[in-house]
Parts: sequence; C-alpha cells; structure tokens
Amino acid sequence: MSDHPFKHSRWPASRRRDFLRQAAALAGAVALGPAETHAGDVPADATPSGTPSAPAAPAPFSGYEYFSPQEAAFVEALVNIMCPADAYTPNGVDCGLAIFFDRQLAGPFGQGKGRYLRGPWNAGPPQMGLQSPLTPAQFFSEGLRAANALSLSRHGKSFDQLEAAQAEGLLHEFESGGAASPAAVALADWFNALVYPLFVQACFADPLYGGNHDKVFWKLIGYPGLPATHALDMVQYRGKPYPGAASPKSIADFS
Amino acid sequence: MNQPTKLPSRSVVIVGGGLTAALVARQLTVQGVQTLVLERGTDRRDSAADRLPSQRDELRWAVHQGLMQDWSVQPYSLRHGRDEPSYPIRWMSAFLPGEGLGGAASHWNGHCWRWSRYDPVLRSHLEARYGKQAIPADMPLADWGVTYERLEPYHDLFEKLFGISGQAGNLRGRKLPGGNPFEAPRQHPYPQPPLQSLEAGLMFAEAAQRLGYHPFPQPGANSSGAYLNPDGQRLGACQYCGHCERFVCEAQAKATPELLLYPVLMKRPGFELRLRAHVLGVTYDAAARRVSGVRYVDLRDGREYEQPADVVVLGAFTMTNTRLLLLDRIGKPYDAAETSGVVGRNFCYQTCSGVELFFERRWINPFLAAGSTGTVIDDLNNDNFDHTGLGFLGGGSISTTVYNGRPIGSRLLPEGTPRWGTAWKAANARWYAHSLLLSAQGSCYPHRENFLDLDPDYTDAYGQPLLRMTFDFRDNELRMSEWVTRKMGEIAQSMLPDHMSAVEGIKPPFDTRVYQTTHVTGGTPMGTDPAHSVVSPHLQHWDAQNLFVVGASVYPHNSGYNPTGPLAALALRLGDELVDYTRRPRWLG
Ligand SMILES: Cc1cc2nc3c(=O)[nH]c(=O)nc-3n(C[C@H](O)[C@H](O)[C@H](O)COP(=O)(O)OP(=O)(O)OC[C@H]3O[C@@H](n4cnc5c(N)ncnc54)[C@H](O)[C@@H]3O)c2cc1C
Repeated sequence: MSDHPFKHSRWPASRRRDFLRQAAALAGAVALGPAETHAGDVPADATPSGTPSAPAAPAPFSGYEYFSPQEAAFVEALVNIMCPADAYTPNGVDCGLAIFFDRQLAGPFGQGKGRYLRGPWNAGPPQMGLQSPLTPAQFFSEGLRAANALSLSRHGKSFDQLEAAQAEGLLHEFESGGAASPAAVALADWFNALVYPLFVQACFADPLYGGNHDKVFWKLIGYPGLPATHALDMVQYRGKPYPGAASPKSIADFS
Repeated sequence: MNQPTKLPSRSVVIVGGGLTAALVARQLTVQGVQTLVLERGTDRRDSAADRLPSQRDELRWAVHQGLMQDWSVQPYSLRHGRDEPSYPIRWMSAFLPGEGLGGAASHWNGHCWRWSRYDPVLRSHLEARYGKQAIPADMPLADWGVTYERLEPYHDLFEKLFGISGQAGNLRGRKLPGGNPFEAPRQHPYPQPPLQSLEAGLMFAEAAQRLGYHPFPQPGANSSGAYLNPDGQRLGACQYCGHCERFVCEAQAKATPELLLYPVLMKRPGFELRLRAHVLGVTYDAAARRVSGVRYVDLRDGREYEQPADVVVLGAFTMTNTRLLLLDRIGKPYDAAETSGVVGRNFCYQTCSGVELFFERRWINPFLAAGSTGTVIDDLNNDNFDHTGLGFLGGGSISTTVYNGRPIGSRLLPEGTPRWGTAWKAANARWYAHSLLLSAQGSCYPHRENFLDLDPDYTDAYGQPLLRMTFDFRDNELRMSEWVTRKMGEIAQSMLPDHMSAVEGIKPPFDTRVYQTTHVTGGTPMGTDPAHSVVSPHLQHWDAQNLFVVGASVYPHNSGYNPTGPLAALALRLGDELVDYTRRPRWLG
C-alpha cells in the first residue's frame, strides 16, 4: 500500500515548488544530515542543480559483476536521472545505486531464486504477475536493449547520451506504457515491475547491498535504522521528533 | 522413482511443523501419545534470521521473502473465474505461507483474536436476525458444529501459552472500559497488559470516540513485558523495533511455536520431529475409509519414504491441507458447475482496504512500533451492526496500521507525488515520519465460484499438479468493502489530515502483486453435513476415520479478524480429542 508501483499521477509544478519549500523547512527543523546545511538554499523548482551539495563521500567504485560496459553506461545514466545530485543526496551513481542494480542482478535475485520458471508460458492479465520465462537478470538486459533501441530511433543516441529532459521523457513513456516495445519484453513491465522496484530498493535497503551509500536515504527521511530497541523511546518520543533519526546505523555499524 | 522405503509405524503423524502441529502435539505428548511431526523446512533458531544485526535486513527477509515458501518448488496458480485460463503465480506477493519450524507463525505479526461469539454459528445467527432469504443462494455459509463456549477454555489456554497482551472487553459478560465491547465473553483477562499505543493510535482513538465508536488496543503476541508461560517457557519484553511480520524476533519477544512450544516437545518422550521432510501424499484406502500413513521425500537424501501411522493429522496450512486431499482423492472434489463434492469449497481470503493520512505537524515516527501496536474499532465488523437494507453481509475491523517504519515497504507518499527525482526525495523527507495508514480488515464470505482444485497444466518440482485457486472478490465483498471503507474515510477525515488518499473499497480482480494478508481460509470446511463439509465438528474427515485436518482450511468463512486464535483453540481441542481417539478409535459424534 506504500509507494505503490501501479498508482501514480502528476502534480502541477506550483504544488511541487510548495512542497520543496516546506520540505526544506521541515528538514531544517529536525536537523537531517544533508538538508540541514542547505535548508536555506534548496532550489525553488524541481530542477536539479547539477552540483552535488550533500556532504556524503562518493561510493568507492568496485567494478561491475553483471553489467556489460553498455549496460553500465545505461544504468549509470538512469540512476542519475532518477536520483539527480541535489540538496538531498549526491547523484545516483555516487549513492551506489548502479552498484546495487549490478549486484542484485548478478546475485540470487537476478538469477531467479525462488521464482517459478516452468512452462507452459502464456501472457496473462497484470494481476497474475510477470509471466516471463526469463530470469530477472535476463529480463533486465532484454528490456535495456529495447529501451536503447527506442532511444536510438527516437533521438539518434543511446540512452546514456541523451539530454536529461529527453531521458526523463523516455522514462515517463516506459512508466505509462506509452513506449512501443517488443511484445515479449513490454517496457512498461520492465520499468514498473523490475527497474522501479530495484531503484527504490537501491535507495532504501541497508548499505550492505551497495546502494544507499553512507545511509544517505535513511538520513534523508529520518529512518534511524539499527538496532531499533525502542521500548523506552517509543514512550519518550511518542509524537515528538526522534533524535536518533539524524544519525542512522546500518548493519556494518554493528558488524 | 524407486519403491519408497517403509519405516516403522507411529501412533500419530502430523504433516507440517507449524503452529497447529505443535499445539496438537502438546496435548498428545503430555498424555504419552507417540507423535511424529514432518516438516518440509528447517529449524532457523540460531541462524542469521534471529540474530542482530542480520535480523534487521528488510531486503533479505521482507522483500526477498527469506523465510517463506519457495515458489520455485511449489507455487499456486490462479484464475479469477471458472471460464478463464489459470496462470501460475511465479512470485507471489499477496500472501506468504511459511516454511520451516514454526511455520507462518514464526514470522507472523502477532495479532491474536478470538472471533465473534456468533462466528461458529454464523448461518443460524444471520437467519435468526434477518431471515433465511437474507443469505444469498451463492453464499454457502455454514455453522461449524461447535460453539464459542466449547472453544473458550482453549482460547484461554492458547492466550496463556503465548502470553497474549491485551485489554479484556467482556469478562464473563461484564463490559470493561478500554476493551472491545463486542468481544465474546471471556472467563479470564489476557495474561499480559496491552502494548503501548502509538501516536497514530491516540489520534485515531480520539477521532473514533468522538464519532461514537469504541477504540481499544490490538491484542497481540508481541509481549508487553517479560513473561513466563504455564510450560515454563519465557518471553522477553517487546522492543518496538518494527521487525515482526516477515521476520523472526531476535529478542524472543514475539510468541512463536519454535520459541514456546517445540522446545517443550523436544524434551518429551514419544515426540519426534523430522525436518526437511516434504510430504507428497496420504495413503488412502477408500473402501476401508481409512488412511494408513503418509509418503514423503527426505530432502537430505532425496529419497522417498513411507511412514505408516495409526492416525494422520494435516496441519500444513490451508493450501497444503487441501492439496493433499485432492492429490489422493480423499473426499469428493468440489465441482462448482454442479455444486457437488466438497474438497476445495468455501475458499475465502480477506477483504482489505486502506486510507493513507498525512499530517504536517504530527510526529508519527512509524519506526517506533511493533506488529500489534494497532488501535482498533470493532463496531463495523462482521454482524456487530444492523445490516438491514444495506445489501451485503459482513464487515471489517478498522485499525491504525503502523507496524513498522521499514523504508522500502512502509513509506507513504501522497497521491500525485512524482515517482523519482528531487521532488520525490523532498516528499519522502517531508512525509516519512508524518504519515499513517488506516486499514479495514474485512470479512470474506464463501461464494460458490471461489474454490480450490488441482491445476491441469502446471506441476511443482516433484511433478505433482499445482493447487489452483479460482478466486475473486464477489459482489457481497465489494459492497461490504465500499461501505466499510466509506466509514473509515469519515473517521480519517475527522482526524483533519493535510492530505489523504482516495477512499476506495477493494476493487477486483484479485491482485497477486500486492500483499494483503496471509489469511487464506477454507478448502476443507468443517460442518455437520457431510454433503457440504470435508471434516466433522471434531475435525475428523468424513471419508477417513483416522484422518484429521486442522488450521484455517476448516473455516467455512473468513471473519473480519486475523485467523489464528480460533484455529489454535481448535488445534488444542483436537489434541485432547485425539488422546481419547487413539485409545478408542471410532467415528466421533
Ligand atoms: C507474514 C504473515 C503475517 C501473519 N500475521 C498474522 C497475525 O498477525 N495474526 C494472525 O492471527 N495470523 C497471522 N498470520 C497467519 C498465521 O501465521 C497462521 O494462521 C498460522 O501460522 C497457521 O498455523 P498452521 O499450523 O495452520 O500453519 P503454519 O504455522 O504455517 O504451519 C504449516 C507448516 O506446514 C509445513 N508444510 C506445508 N506443506 C508441507 C508438506 N507438503 N510437507 C511437510 N510440511 C509442509 C510448512 O512448511 C509450515 O511450516 C500471518 C502469516 C504470515 C505469513
């Protein structure tokens, strides 16, 4: 019921601006790491400034396990569009999001662990979930190929070479099911059922998996992480800001 | 496959090593009846699942379903109607049966209900109140053949074994302030006081009270204090860490079978547990109307074994219970076209809906919570209100659903928020600690077109047909959900949120991609009439004297509560009755 992948619409820009101003004020009030120092100068519109203003150190690059160079370029562009450097976080690559994608696809999830992969194969209504014989990793690569083909035919450039606005436009086409795609690899399924959940997980999973570098997304929202032994906190901080939210702890902090 | 190896016989063999199995075994072994439990999964105590820091890993346990049934081995298929093709659900998200010692009750949320006093006699109750014609012809409601009063001592025992925290609302007919005034009368209070209420619960309680409803704290198995149960087993105090549902509690503060029941059983003579034993079938002699044992694969050597038994109990959760009967044709399979046969009928789910609320100036802090820290009203549930003229039967409990602040799955954002980019991040920063969900957990009454059978096209890793669900939310549930959700919307509105999601009841078709609850019920319903039920009021199979079935599969309908209280009570009673049965086998009447 939260952050529901199948439920979305757009807000007018003015509303969005409002949103940001209030978010900035709020972030200041609870002393959230990255926004704290920039509460006053959050850009007044949603356009990313392009300069990472959050203090987190970039993730150390450690080499991709799954991606081909072309796939890596695509995914790095993708996560930087979906997570631009702004007052809230560094860009997606520096947040470790591309590494998260790569590790997930190389690992058990990408290889189809726990997924029923026996035929016969028939296209079904969306409520039945994906009915593809491909593993998530294979499906990811096929979708990426189709997405790049669309980018080439539309703009004469591969996805990673697009202007931000062009890339953003394509993502919206994938999301809404508007993009033409091969029947076996519907780009709407690819984006909504695979790419988007991976993006959210990359941002919010424990940094152990390579994304959410330096707990930057946990700091952003004020999720305190571990160890979460809150028997006293929950009485003391009921209805009040929780101080631990400013300095979340992750698995590595306890290992 | 080679001829299965035949093993020495046992008195009672229980299929499944979850909650019901442990409760049946507890009653049997204390009286010295030899009991063998066969569980397909393993024992996860002392593993990454119940240790810090690895326990607090949302991606591993919640998103990747680290503790659940392995869908690559055995999924279910679904069609929304009898005239449609079925599809195997290749990665199920709607409900998540367990695997491993403790079953789904090892990673449950802990909500622990007694159902309404009239639930076991629902058909008679509704007919008496509204007349026979009030129950639609396509809604095969049935009395269970057992009353709440008969089960009450077993509810009490289960609550004491599991150290349930809660506020009594009806003590021997006396209404108590702060409890649920609709509660069935109880002989004793809960063994522990309720859990702390959250900010969200206080806000909801205030609004609900103003509108004339009766809020009370969710009774739960998340232990409000340190607790010693009657078997000498201990629970620690809940730490409100928000890792209950889908997780094993590392603080030993959530009551589970592997924490409270199996350690006691392991020490009892006559008790044996075999893990990694996947049961494939029950050997049935239709002419004799008896079973002779079960067949299973030992997953450690890959070989098949035949385990003879005097008595077989199926306690392997709704889906396996039904499937095993269908695979070996024990009882006539239900035929929806003819409305004949019984096995697979009365398959029900839960009718859920939610409203998300956003408050700029209130600190909800969803991460300071536990699985059962809800505040609930029961006023609009089941038949707790007059349905005259409403056009549906049933209802829902409405509660604050703030059980955790796990950031992948439990972040709420106002409708219309962009799904990525700077504005998305801003919205996350702004609303994460300031939002809450109200949800209605609605009843789901049986429909003649909702049932289980074997899939003709798809097989599991052992080559056996998948269990096929033919299920959708039908008119009665859609109308109920629409009405209850509207009422929930009124409460939500009166809490004066800055934003609120659309107020919408459940919409068909049933969507396997969205978690709802793991409360699938029916398939082997109990009842007094063999033409309409699979097991008798004593849970004895009508067509196999020494075969018994226990769990939510025996419910003829699903109520607007979580299922575990009554099925635990039924399991404890079954254990007692089996002690007697093993001494004097007969048709129990
Ligand atoms: C995420 C989640 C949250 C829940 N929250 C709540 C809650 O808050 N309140 C509530 O009342 N209920 C809740 N439930 C439901 C509750 O867990 C069940 O009602 C309860 O566990 C049922 O007991 P059981 O013995 O019937 O099944 P289980 O406890 O699941 O035990 C069945 C066992 O049978 C085994 N098995 C299955 N097939 C085979 C086979 N072929 N061979 C061998 N073994 C087999 C399984 O591996 C499993 O261990 C929740 C369930 C889940 C999954």
